[in-house]
Amino acid sequence: MAQAKDFEGKNPDELFYFVEYSPEEAEKTGYSNYSYWGSVFQNFLKKKSAVFCALLFFALAIFTFIALAIGKYDYATLVVDQNNKFIAPNSEYWFGTDNIGRDYWCQVWYAAQTSIRLALVVALGEGIVGIIIGLIWGYVRSLDRFFTELYNLINNIPIIIYMTLIALMIGQSFTIMAISLIATGWLVMARRVRNMVFMYRDREYNLASRCLGTPLWRVLTKNILPYLVSVIILRLALSIPSTIGLESTLSYLGLGLDDRTPSLGVLLRNARLFFLDYPYLLIFPAAIVSIISVTFYICGNAFSDAADPRNHV
Amino acid sequence: MIKYTIKRLLQSLITILLAVTIVFLLLRLLPTDYYFTEDQLMKFTTEQKNAALEAAGLLDPVGEQLVRFYGQILHLDFGISRRIQSGIAVTQVIGSKFEVSMRLGLISLAISLVLGVILGILQTVFKDKLIDHLGTVYTVFVNAVPALVSYSLVLVFGSKVLGLPALYSTRNVGPSSILPVACLSLASIAGYALWTRRYMVDELTRDYIKLAKVKGLNTREIMISHVLRNAMVPMVQYIPASMLLTIGGSLLVERFFSVPGMGPLLTDAINRYDVNVVQTLVMFYAALGIVGVFLGDILMMLVDPRITLTEKGGAR
Repeated sequence: MAQAKDFEGKNPDELFYFVEYSPEEAEKTGYSNYSYWGSVFQNFLKKKSAVFCALLFFALAIFTFIALAIGKYDYATLVVDQNNKFIAPNSEYWFGTDNIGRDYWCQVWYAAQTSIRLALVVALGEGIVGIIIGLIWGYVRSLDRFFTELYNLINNIPIIIYMTLIALMIGQSFTIMAISLIATGWLVMARRVRNMVFMYRDREYNLASRCLGTPLWRVLTKNILPYLVSVIILRLALSIPSTIGLESTLSYLGLGLDDRTPSLGVLLRNARLFFLDYPYLLIFPAAIVSIISVTFYICGNAFSDAADPRNHV
Repeated sequence: MIKYTIKRLLQSLITILLAVTIVFLLLRLLPTDYYFTEDQLMKFTTEQKNAALEAAGLLDPVGEQLVRFYGQILHLDFGISRRIQSGIAVTQVIGSKFEVSMRLGLISLAISLVLGVILGILQTVFKDKLIDHLGTVYTVFVNAVPALVSYSLVLVFGSKVLGLPALYSTRNVGPSSILPVACLSLASIAGYALWTRRYMVDELTRDYIKLAKVKGLNTREIMISHVLRNAMVPMVQYIPASMLLTIGGSLLVERFFSVPGMGPLLTDAINRYDVNVVQTLVMFYAALGIVGVFLGDILMMLVDPRITLTEKGGAR
């Protein structure tokens, strides 16, 4: 940079001189060290409560494995023993025993693992199916009518009907549950994505892209998808608490997972008749399921704020 | 406007019809064993079974059954229930249930509207103060924690601390409805508070609010007669839908407290293969949803004359 003293004692003609073109110098002004994901994480890390929640969630997820390993009983070898029923938590049974005398500790942690796994699988599946269909739905005009009708159709029938019919006709297992939750859950994601695509598909740069003959998939993935990241992340993060909630509701009604794969919903259903007298049967699964849901909810909100490019400097 | 209404009603009818058809076909996929009680399954010979199925018209080709079914709907004949309450018209079975659901639902709707909007207003007025944070914690809790857990907590608190009955009973309707109503309101209070707050905060930064402040109106007047009124416009849309949905009852709450309402009826009917009840219920639910959205749009238009539905094919 030129400074004031450089100009002292010079005549006006000498103050102006030609600058040679240099690519390096040109780069300097054009370059910014902005990176999208860098800013996302920077913004996210600024929120202490969200970071704390994320750490808590990962700690809990890892602890489910540790807890099963250090527990005194193994889930596979639990036996029904009427003499041991309703033992309050003690040094032998850390979370006590249930109504048929099985160790509650290993059941609770095994169930937490099942619930987390189901929620993650469903969120991922919903995301993939929802984004792909949403992009097509929003971009291809002639299909809009078809998908809107499909949406109305699926959305107008209570999900309980599907789940009951599936449980009756096909059966109840982890895979069936995951697939049927994905099959009904992609709607919300697809609808959100479709609305966003609608907003961006006819912007000038996309018109230009189309005129230049850019292939459809490239327009979708490079021009439109980046705008949707924050919406998608928010939906994914919120779908985890809602999947856990839905799973527990369905299992409670006897339409979700079967008794052989315990989830937090199954445990709460089994505890329903007894927890007024033996509160520990409610407290342990309820506390864990609440921690998982609340941490993910807070993280998801914070992360989607951070992922919104408008909030970046 | 009239043309638009008619077009929209026709579309809704087609949607309902499609939904019912799909459910009809799905139900026909179930094994016919569900048609019999366990007792009958043991005792009946194959011929007897076939005769019974023949009499009920379940052995005809699916297409024929479907056409007959459409004919019955046209005559508003929804058939009779076979399992839930044997031999009684479906409309009667549903009628007796929905009175219970509707009573609980409407009470809780009224409570949650009033409390939710008040909480939302308080949160806006005391934005970023203690009450706002408490409200946010409440909404996060209700949204994130599974309903089953929060209902269990309400149940434990209600029956252990307050000594309220843990199950609904017809002999003791008043006190035993308190906990179900509380559970029903829990989530919707949070919902109304969240949206009231969000729309009011959006509205607070508008120019006309600045003008009102400059004119020297006091905060209460601004909040109630300007901010709230405008903030209510987008919310009004959902009120008819939620009002109608209360008739449907909440499956989980009603199961949880053994309320003899509409909620558990559907799963019971499917589980026990009561075909006529299932079909009627599906039609009923689909119609409730569609009419709710439609009424919401009209109500929104009445509240805010600037909104017209016909212009761009619906305000949604």
